[in-house]
Amino acid sequence: MAGPMVFEEKEKFLERLRGLVREGVPGERIRVITPFGVPEVEEILPRGRSKVRFFALVGAASGTVTGFAFTILTSLSWPLIVGGKPIVSLPPFLIIAFALTILFGALSTFAGFLLLSRLPSLRGIRSGEEFGNAFVILVEDGERQ
Amino acid sequence: MTAFLEKKWSLAVLIAAAGALMAFVSLTPAPGRGGSLLLAFLFFVAVVEGCIAAAAAGATVNARWVGSVRKELLSVTPLLLVASFLLLLLIPFVDSYPWAGKPGIWLRKDFFIGRNLAFLVLAYVTARRFAAAPADGEGTKSRAAWYLLVFVVSQTLTAFDLVMSLEYPWISALLGGYFFIESIYGGFAVSALLCLLFRGTPPAEHGHGSRSDLSDLSILMFGFSLMWAGLFFAQFLTIWYGNLPEEVGFLARRLSVSPLRELCVAVLFLLFFIPFPALLSTRAKSNPLVVSVAALSILSGILVERYVFLAPVVRFSPVALAIDVVCLLVLFAVVVYKGSREASLEA
Amino acid sequence: MGIADRYAKVDRDVLAAMKRPGRVYLAGLAFTATLVVIGGALWAYQVRSGLGVAGYTHPVNWAIYITNFVFWVGIAHSGTLISAVLYLFRARYRTSFNRAAEAMTVFALMVAGLFPLIHLGRSWVFYYLIPYPTQRQLWVNFRSPLIWDVFAVGTYFTVSLVFFYVGMIPDFAAAKQHVAGIRKKIFSVLSLGWKGTEKEWRHYGMLYLFLAAFATPLVASVHSVVSWDFAMSIVPGWHTTIFAPYFVAGAIFSGTAMVITLVVPLRKAMNLHEYITDDHFESIAKILLFTSLIVSYAYIVEFGLASYGENAFEKEAFRYRALGEFRYLTWAMIFCNSLVPLTLFARRLRRNITFLLVVSLLVNVGMWLERFVIIVTSLAHDFDPYVWGTYRPTYVEVGISLGSFGLFFMLYLLFVKNLPVLSISEIKEHL
Repeated sequence: MAGPMVFEEKEKFLERLRGLVREGVPGERIRVITPFGVPEVEEILPRGRSKVRFFALVGAASGTVTGFAFTILTSLSWPLIVGGKPIVSLPPFLIIAFALTILFGALSTFAGFLLLSRLPSLRGIRSGEEFGNAFVILVEDGERQ
Repeated sequence: MTAFLEKKWSLAVLIAAAGALMAFVSLTPAPGRGGSLLLAFLFFVAVVEGCIAAAAAGATVNARWVGSVRKELLSVTPLLLVASFLLLLLIPFVDSYPWAGKPGIWLRKDFFIGRNLAFLVLAYVTARRFAAAPADGEGTKSRAAWYLLVFVVSQTLTAFDLVMSLEYPWISALLGGYFFIESIYGGFAVSALLCLLFRGTPPAEHGHGSRSDLSDLSILMFGFSLMWAGLFFAQFLTIWYGNLPEEVGFLARRLSVSPLRELCVAVLFLLFFIPFPALLSTRAKSNPLVVSVAALSILSGILVERYVFLAPVVRFSPVALAIDVVCLLVLFAVVVYKGSREASLEA
Repeated sequence: MGIADRYAKVDRDVLAAMKRPGRVYLAGLAFTATLVVIGGALWAYQVRSGLGVAGYTHPVNWAIYITNFVFWVGIAHSGTLISAVLYLFRARYRTSFNRAAEAMTVFALMVAGLFPLIHLGRSWVFYYLIPYPTQRQLWVNFRSPLIWDVFAVGTYFTVSLVFFYVGMIPDFAAAKQHVAGIRKKIFSVLSLGWKGTEKEWRHYGMLYLFLAAFATPLVASVHSVVSWDFAMSIVPGWHTTIFAPYFVAGAIFSGTAMVITLVVPLRKAMNLHEYITDDHFESIAKILLFTSLIVSYAYIVEFGLASYGENAFEKEAFRYRALGEFRYLTWAMIFCNSLVPLTLFARRLRRNITFLLVVSLLVNVGMWLERFVIIVTSLAHDFDPYVWGTYRPTYVEVGISLGSFGLFFMLYLLFVKNLPVLSISEIKEHL
């Protein structure tokens, strides 16, 4: 594998990256490491929008369903009239469902992020390879698995 | 027709004609005239003041979307004078308020009309000063802030005086805030429609990270739909939970009778359950069809809701209501059209 | 200065804050820790002797502990506003404050969460509030605002903690390269092995956007739920529809004041003038002014509507608030919350940092007083004159309250020395 190409400046890094894509290097073999998120990289190496958003949607939907199901089923399982309110009183249950929507949505989005980014990565925690604030391009050989 | 509209005096003529027609209709002694005018007035003032408020709010935070429809939005300023005239036409109707027989310090006919009129005129004055200032001038932000302060008071008074005192002694402390948030919400809906009408569709190949004026307005409509729902729920939950007879009567009168109950559900859909999911995805926020449906839904929702507020206590005459609403819509369309002509002449 | 040097300077400046603590810091830490210990001891005394030692008696059964709870939850909201809401509005000036603000949120919620426990008296039965399948087949009362609080504040704490931590993942990775020993190991583990590949940044960007989008409705809903602890009752002065937006605006108001109170000394002590400029403070001052106007609006509407209508109880409740036993507190509250912030209409005063600090301290006091006035005056003087009473705090309550302030500031001091106090990657991105 060719050594990492290290750049101090963002513009030079982006130029080289565009050059590599123009030369015909397949996108899947190019890996980049940056000190902060660079939106231009997504334009040069398009990989589609992150699938984390599906985790968010599923989590939020399950939160709403759980919120209503939990409150309604538990109220029906021990039907006690409290404060003159109906057994299944939707306005309060809506509040619980709203809170759980946000909770499950946030937690499942976080879980989705960890899953899709393959974090925590033991190799990353123990690795000594540090690039500091540099922008790095790594091109993997075709033969490496 | 367009030649007539191009003339400088055409607006004055139209206003005079509309004013005369509405005066004739509402002052004729027949049941339901005053009520219809009140409904038309409430909707009209909310939308007009909301348009200017949307522009003013955008000016105070240096929002970028304001630039594209600023002239059109601010062209509705003269209609505040029309609104003041309508308020004068409502003077006879004030006698049918429940407190009219036993006036107090706050609820007495002269003070009632006087303060509402004063703030409408003040809104006109501050709006005019704001509209006259250049878009990015030195004093523009402070003029916008003055208008916003007057707007808040004007809408609060409209809510507490014109609507809440119809159900005297019912109180909802949030009604004032609810009305001015709805008004700005309507203002953003109109801004989105104006953006589509006069600035066209943004180019299709927009990267999903970039912004356009239309998508900014859609984000605002989306956010305000949530805010509206929150304020609605705050009022509903407090009244429902407390279950106090003097408060619940208000809800009961509107939820137990058949056409009103369905209209209440319709209001929920028009103001939240349609705009919110429609504008959820990023792509939908730039889609002209989705945005115009959401905006029209919001505006009709405001009208239907004002109707629901008034219906159990006020009589309407459908003919008078239709005439009033049509006159005001025509005036609104004319001023906005003239405003857009001015903007394109300047550009 | 080349861009690489500027990046390195950001690292150095932020990490300089984490070097060996000076004497002033250690004194502050010792003082706040002492307050925490005193508060803890007094709580132990209260658990042994009952809530009566804290001055709680009929008719005022909710006083300073609930005031503190609402106060701290309110403080937390402003942190989320700055980090999540301003992110959605793409406000650039946010990057200098957002780490400090998020930390403030997490610590304020930790402190807030203690108060329902303290206020239970029999704190060991806190688990009654948690919905789990009990042996008596009984579930919690989901119709009660106190349970809504459990869910809302619990959700808010969890989401804020996740948001705070997620924001720091790239910063731990950056910081671990400049530290050694046990700190390096801890930062490496906390960074989860983050390398900064484009795959990681892509998913991270979407995660951050969604967390900000999820946290934003929490700003409005959590304090609305807290306000409904009062509004769902029928007590005059409490049962009013305006409480939800009024409390939310008040929360942002007091939280913004606390941000100013924390960040002004922080900037001075750690020499961060390059990152936290006077322009930033001016923007924050505008938020303070705006929320002050909303709170003033609510005061006017509430007092006005009390005299409107035929509800004698409401009239009396507000007359008592303005002219009764606690009138000095009410007037102080109006002065600090409505009148003093009006001075911020003047641009010169908005940019005067010392003046802002003074205003922020007055606002903190005023907003604490506001919650106290709302709670205690309405309870002391509700429907039936035969049960009207009064309330006098005792040293137990005051001591525990001081302990809670001590806990908050102690956690904040620990944060400042051990975790990156500015959001390194975001600042580099905007250089």
